[in-house]
Amino acid sequence: MPSSPGPAASATASRVPVEERLFSLVLALLATESGLTKNEILSTVQGYRQRFRAGGDNTNLERQFERDKDDIRDLGVPLETIDSPGDAGNNQMLRYRIPRGAYELPKDVTFTSGETTLLNLAAMVWREGSLSGESRRALLKLRSLGVAAEEPVLGYAPRVRLRDAAFEPLSSALEKHLIVRFPYLKPGEERAREREVIPLALVQYQGRWHLSAEETAPSGSDGDGARKTFLLRRIVGPVVLGKAAPARPGDHAGAALASLDAVWERGVAEVQVVTDSDAATRLTNRRGTERLAASVDAGAPGRAEERLRLHFVDLNILADELAGFGPEVLVIGPPELRGAVISRLERTAHDHG
Amino acid sequence: MADRQQPLQARDKLAFLLSLVPWLMDHDGAKVAEAAEHFGMTPAQIREAVELIAVSGVPGETDAYQHGDLFDIDWDAFEERDEIVLTNLVAIDDSPRFSAREAAALIAGLQYLSALPENADRAAIASLMGKLSRGASATPSQVGVEGAATTGAVDTGAGRRALAPDPLASTLALIRESVERGVQLELDYQNSQGQRERRRVDPLRIESIDADWYLRGWCHLREAIRTFRLDRISNAIITEQPIEHRASDSDVRLPDVLFAPSPDDLEVTIEVVPSAMPLLSDFIPDGATSTGHDGRIRTTLRVSHYHGLKRLIASMAGVATVVAPPSARAAVEAWAREGAARYR
Repeated sequence: MPSSPGPAASATASRVPVEERLFSLVLALLATESGLTKNEILSTVQGYRQRFRAGGDNTNLERQFERDKDDIRDLGVPLETIDSPGDAGNNQMLRYRIPRGAYELPKDVTFTSGETTLLNLAAMVWREGSLSGESRRALLKLRSLGVAAEEPVLGYAPRVRLRDAAFEPLSSALEKHLIVRFPYLKPGEERAREREVIPLALVQYQGRWHLSAEETAPSGSDGDGARKTFLLRRIVGPVVLGKAAPARPGDHAGAALASLDAVWERGVAEVQVVTDSDAATRLTNRRGTERLAASVDAGAPGRAEERLRLHFVDLNILADELAGFGPEVLVIGPPELRGAVISRLERTAHDHG
Repeated sequence: MADRQQPLQARDKLAFLLSLVPWLMDHDGAKVAEAAEHFGMTPAQIREAVELIAVSGVPGETDAYQHGDLFDIDWDAFEERDEIVLTNLVAIDDSPRFSAREAAALIAGLQYLSALPENADRAAIASLMGKLSRGASATPSQVGVEGAATTGAVDTGAGRRALAPDPLASTLALIRESVERGVQLELDYQNSQGQRERRRVDPLRIESIDADWYLRGWCHLREAIRTFRLDRISNAIITEQPIEHRASDSDVRLPDVLFAPSPDDLEVTIEVVPSAMPLLSDFIPDGATSTGHDGRIRTTLRVSHYHGLKRLIASMAGVATVVAPPSARAAVEAWAREGAARYR
């Protein structure tokens, strides 16, 4: 036995902490040029070697190694496998390594202290939900570069919520490039309909999460299915992950936001609001709202009203919002919106009468 | 840091070890306290990590983790002066890349914050997002968040078009200017009971939840900390009066929660379809019991005033119904009836 104070001394210790085993695995695979076979890893690397039985059954240890590989890959550590020449396909001869160039942050990727401040804020956005671990680890790596953030002039506490139950399975399907199935309830339809799609991007637009996806082409036909946008809130049942999806390269998040923006641009409503009411203040402060007339005939003496033009993406969502303002808003058009608001108000009055 | 006291999971600890080594290489002789401050950790977490690094390494040629195959530190400096000096290095030369999901989270966070005055330089933000993509180990996954437009044009991919500045971005810019110049903000505010008042405010912090933005500040009218929804603010101007309260003042304590319950709150019983429950979670007090009724959930809501309740319920037609008390039902009914009457 060597006389170093290192792990050799504690080789008999029954338990090596998980992080020590993972850290030792990364170090060993970074240090090897030609790669290590699974057997070499299990028999020599700290955390495995203590439990390795030469010539014996190492099934549990092999399973542990499989899970560890997934864990370090999840952290963005590029773990590569090399087939042994002349023995391709033989799992026992497969060699593992971490290529330095793919592991290290490129030299030209540096951040100023102003940029570091912004990235700290960007990470804070995901304080809750499934992206909080990701942003926490991203910040550790950012701090590794040693750039101190500037103290912001004004404190911020931004937060995006991931409350839709469908977010997590959809995000995991996106990550693994899988086809998904889910029941989707379109407004105005009695029953949810099962959809099967190739997920392309998850985007939040005006506070609501949307899935941009391609419908799977009916069997027998080739070519791409139609691109659709689904509101996560209308996914009313479990999201089922299916088989591998065909590759669809491109900036889908950007495209989905641009197409929602185009829908928003085209969707125009005209409303009349009571001056100085909550509706007037909040609708005027909405992005894209234009004041068409500062004072219009309110149909009632002593009441001042103004006319606004609003943009919207989803008629049913806007109708919900406008119904909440009760008598402070009168919808002028389009007629479908007017009808949707009237039926909501009548329903609420009826349910509470 | 908000997560300073949280126990770290094994993956967090690994990310931390891989991040700490390159930092220590660049900061020879750094104090434990300095590293703790920089990484937002406790000194105990730093010591634990350094002790682990100091005994870690590679199997080496002998497969036996010989002395030269391990990291080493100056133990005297570490134990006596809390200084971290690496005396032997192995395997690691540089900081690790971001994972695809890590880069995607930061990119989407930056998009979301595009309304902040700090983010006004779009070209700089685009270059920052580009660096995150290049610094990731795989193409960042597809997550996007719409941000407000701060400048005159937005590239939608189908050509550039003009956009009026977002009212949100203008208000945020004004708030920041007031803090920068150290003067109070004056604004009209429509409170949750519908009354409009002129207020003078010392801005303390900007908070947001999804598409809703809030200013928390010292209100000189109420002489207390108040929360203002940005879309209920109008006619805001910057005054010449100096700010009297700052977030760094010891007597200024911002409550952690945006919506703190008050003893004056009213409780109402509602029935709601299960899928709409998350929309109401801010109003449901801790410990409220929920029971099922014909596929609907019956639960308790806490509201400050019926003024807010009737708006909330009227925006959820067919989805949520007030069951009790009768005065709350009547307030909702009257509100919806008056609204419907405008169309006759």
